[in-house]
Amino acid sequence: MKQKKVLALLLAAAMTVGILNGCSKRPEGSNTTDSKTEESGETKDDSEAAESTGVTLEFQHNMTGVITDAIEDACKDFTKETGIGVEVSAPGTYGEMIKARMASNDMPDVFSTHGWSTSLYVEYLEPINDQPFADKIVDSIRDMLTDADGNMYVLPADADLSGMTFNKTVLEDAGVKVEELKTWDDFTEACKKVKDSGKTPIHVGGKDSWTIGTMLDLIAPTFLTNNEETSEAEALLDGSFDWNKWEPISEMVKDWYESGYFNVDCLTADYITSCKALAQDEAAFTFYTGKAVAEAQQTNPEADLGIMPIPAADENSEPCLIGGEDLAVGVWKDSPHKDEAMQLLNYLARPEVCSKLATACGMPAGLTDVESETGILKPYYEKYMSEGVYTIPYFDRVYLPSGLYDVMCTTGTSILAGEKNAVKDSIADMKQAYEEKLAQH
Amino acid sequence: MKKKNWWLYLLGLVIIVVHFIPIYILLGVAAKSSMDITSKWILPGYVEWNNFKEALNGGNMLLALKNTAIITVFSVFFVTVIGAFSAYPLARNRSRLNTVVKSFILGIMMIPGLSVLVPLYSTMVKIHGISTYWGIIVVLVTFNLPMSIFLFSNFIAGIPVALEEAAFIDGCNPIQTFFKIILPQLKPVVASVVILTGVGCWNDYQFSLYFLQSPQYRTIPLAVASYFSQTANNMNAAAASALLGVLPVLLLFIFLQKYFIKGMVDSAIK
Amino acid sequence: MIRRKWITNIFYIPAILLFLFFVIYPFIEGIRISFTNWNGYSQQYKYIGMANYLKMFQDENILTALKNTLIYGVGSTIIQNVLGLSYAILLNTKMKGRTLIRTVVYAPVMISGLVMGYIMYFLVQYDGGALNDILTALGVAPIDWLSDGNRAVIIMTLINSIQYVGISMVIYLAGLQNISSQYYEAAAIDGVSGWQQFRYITVPLLIPAISSSVTLNLIGGLKLFDVIQALTKGGPGYASHSLSTLVANQYFQATNAGYSATIGLFSFVLIMILSNIVTTYFNKKEVYM
Repeated sequence: MKQKKVLALLLAAAMTVGILNGCSKRPEGSNTTDSKTEESGETKDDSEAAESTGVTLEFQHNMTGVITDAIEDACKDFTKETGIGVEVSAPGTYGEMIKARMASNDMPDVFSTHGWSTSLYVEYLEPINDQPFADKIVDSIRDMLTDADGNMYVLPADADLSGMTFNKTVLEDAGVKVEELKTWDDFTEACKKVKDSGKTPIHVGGKDSWTIGTMLDLIAPTFLTNNEETSEAEALLDGSFDWNKWEPISEMVKDWYESGYFNVDCLTADYITSCKALAQDEAAFTFYTGKAVAEAQQTNPEADLGIMPIPAADENSEPCLIGGEDLAVGVWKDSPHKDEAMQLLNYLARPEVCSKLATACGMPAGLTDVESETGILKPYYEKYMSEGVYTIPYFDRVYLPSGLYDVMCTTGTSILAGEKNAVKDSIADMKQAYEEKLAQH
Repeated sequence: MKKKNWWLYLLGLVIIVVHFIPIYILLGVAAKSSMDITSKWILPGYVEWNNFKEALNGGNMLLALKNTAIITVFSVFFVTVIGAFSAYPLARNRSRLNTVVKSFILGIMMIPGLSVLVPLYSTMVKIHGISTYWGIIVVLVTFNLPMSIFLFSNFIAGIPVALEEAAFIDGCNPIQTFFKIILPQLKPVVASVVILTGVGCWNDYQFSLYFLQSPQYRTIPLAVASYFSQTANNMNAAAASALLGVLPVLLLFIFLQKYFIKGMVDSAIK
Repeated sequence: MIRRKWITNIFYIPAILLFLFFVIYPFIEGIRISFTNWNGYSQQYKYIGMANYLKMFQDENILTALKNTLIYGVGSTIIQNVLGLSYAILLNTKMKGRTLIRTVVYAPVMISGLVMGYIMYFLVQYDGGALNDILTALGVAPIDWLSDGNRAVIIMTLINSIQYVGISMVIYLAGLQNISSQYYEAAAIDGVSGWQQFRYITVPLLIPAISSSVTLNLIGGLKLFDVIQALTKGGPGYASHSLSTLVANQYFQATNAGYSATIGLFSFVLIMILSNIVTTYFNKKEVYM
């Protein structure tokens, strides 16, 4: 009796507050997601599903948003066709999780390698050289996927070709022409114009600290390795790098911060918030890849978005694009279901399946005979490819020891938090971590 | 009299409102459609059941519920049984050795389990305990045992020894005495231990996060956490998964709150 | 007599074995790892002597985490006890609706800290957060609540306190109900004022309750982990880390398992000492009272 009374009182309380506030109405069109899922469910029931083989593969990856959905759909179709179950998961703490699993030598049967297939993950991966799709991997990333022994380990669904993303509408309103942004000085000036027009120049989703890391990762090569004459590439690799040369990078980000070019909630917004801001014509630039464009179009398909090469440090060097593996998946070499896992990889390599994955990523496909519906980005990709824009690999994958990316994220965060000695500390922290990491090997 | 008391009721009302806010917000967000951009203070005039459907399917909440139930039941069972046994000698046989043992156990109660995370994790790797039911159960039992032993030994110390002495004179050995005399009297404290460790294991995140890596063994807190980070574009479905996760314990609490609160008080006041 | 009781010691052998395997052995193993530069997953590592310890004593992040851990622990303890005792005094009157208040205040104790953290994110997020909705309605510019490390620490201390104040409340309520009304009647006859009654009758008789409540809150606050993971993951930067979250961060994210083990040992020892001081203090107090 008493409990019921308490329960009733609680509900009554909730309702009174609700009534005082007024209630919101069900928004129009909120059922779209539902009808979509039901439709796909129906089509699935039409065709006959293969009998279950009793095998369930575990597939972990580090993607978010629309790509997660695309991967899940593909795996469901695979199960229907082959009867092999696939349990897909994308833990938000993928990098953390997968390192823990490496420690216990208990990897998922299939997992994504996000740029590290020939280094960090190499000892856990099964080579794919004699798989049918191996010959079809596009040339632009072939070298990056091949290790010193000539082995390749992953199926690249797409080939990353990234710069920065921008919102054309916002830039036009502010009077900025993207083609004219050749150096960081040009870029900074553009930011000023955008800010004056009342929009956010640069949107960062720092709650996901990797977004800050990515920003530094894109800026770093323009200062350190792009200019052949002053390149620090060798020094970075042999451990003799003078970290004081990191200062201009931190300093530039700090200037942007102090000029108010970042979104107010740059430390507490997340990646999806950034994509939404881009979609809703609220922000001009983000330091994300084409994936952000695909994600943003979920919110507003009408948004006029594009990708641009990363500006250069000065007139002596060129703007660049960044290429590499993006959504790349490999098979654990000690997997108890290695054959089934390879079967899944080959399924994902089918042109029609791979095309969907690459499309969701908003990037050109990683296999030669596959079309990627990059939609709004297509003209940009075509333009940059035909122009032969200078393309480099991701900075951290080549020059930083594993584990330093995380330090880069946190030092960047301190700068965006406006800490007093952030620039000086960033140099000291990077230096210390760099030396420690090199000593671990 | 009444006039004097009105502010007491006002105060009571304020307290209720303040403490009800979290649950109120959770209910509102979970029931709203992701397209509904009204303030979080405003309850929806409808319930978006899709949120719950998505949370159940996409978040795999049913599997998580099963895993959590298995882990909680076994952990609680062992914590209770081992706790009751261990407490008996510590309460009754106050030798110097046992004083040391007892203060050692109480010391463990204080330290955060994560302070031994690195070596504990590598130990579990060595004995293949990562991502297994037994692995997480063993860890949870170990770190919940001190509280259980503490509760049981306080309770047993309060039981008069006369009965045990009588049993001894009747020819029972100490072990028989424990089973015949002490065990039947432990019912009330067993309830406290079950409830306290039950809630703790049900909600455990810090150990499960690291010791249950495989999604197949995901518990409710892990499912909620991964759902929150995975579906960042649909916070409403994420809130629905959180609501589904807390509902079982909340309902249990509302209907059995007398026992829950008694358990808490027993654990605190010696 | 003694011999027959001694045999019952076999009853705690299983417990002791568990502690040996899963607390003591890891503790010793942790000491070994703390002398290495192990990254946490590879098979290779080197012994680097005291380097991790030297690094720890120069690392400002440790200082921040230590300070935060103390704020989470001590701050929560103060708020929970003051508030808990006030609630208990209110509930100890004969007002109606006491059960309702007790239910609502205690219910969040059932919710996992993680979920509570996520719920609170809905309140404090910058864009569309419930708190900022109020500010906007009042015509004040919205605040990015968690962007400042110190503010984030205070917010999370408050969240932890509000969530678990129910524990202190019920402990104090039980304590208050144990105090015989005769004391107050006698005091009233002697003309002792309300405050003096509280100071000289209620507080001393509540010492056992205070002792338990303080100890429990302190343990809970010092172990704070879930809320931090849900709200800030220790950020911005390292500004809101507790020792627990820092251990996890250094192990799995920064892949400094050796250093992480060192921090773990440090917090193990520190919290052990701290709790011992508190329990000893209260034990003495109870004896004298």
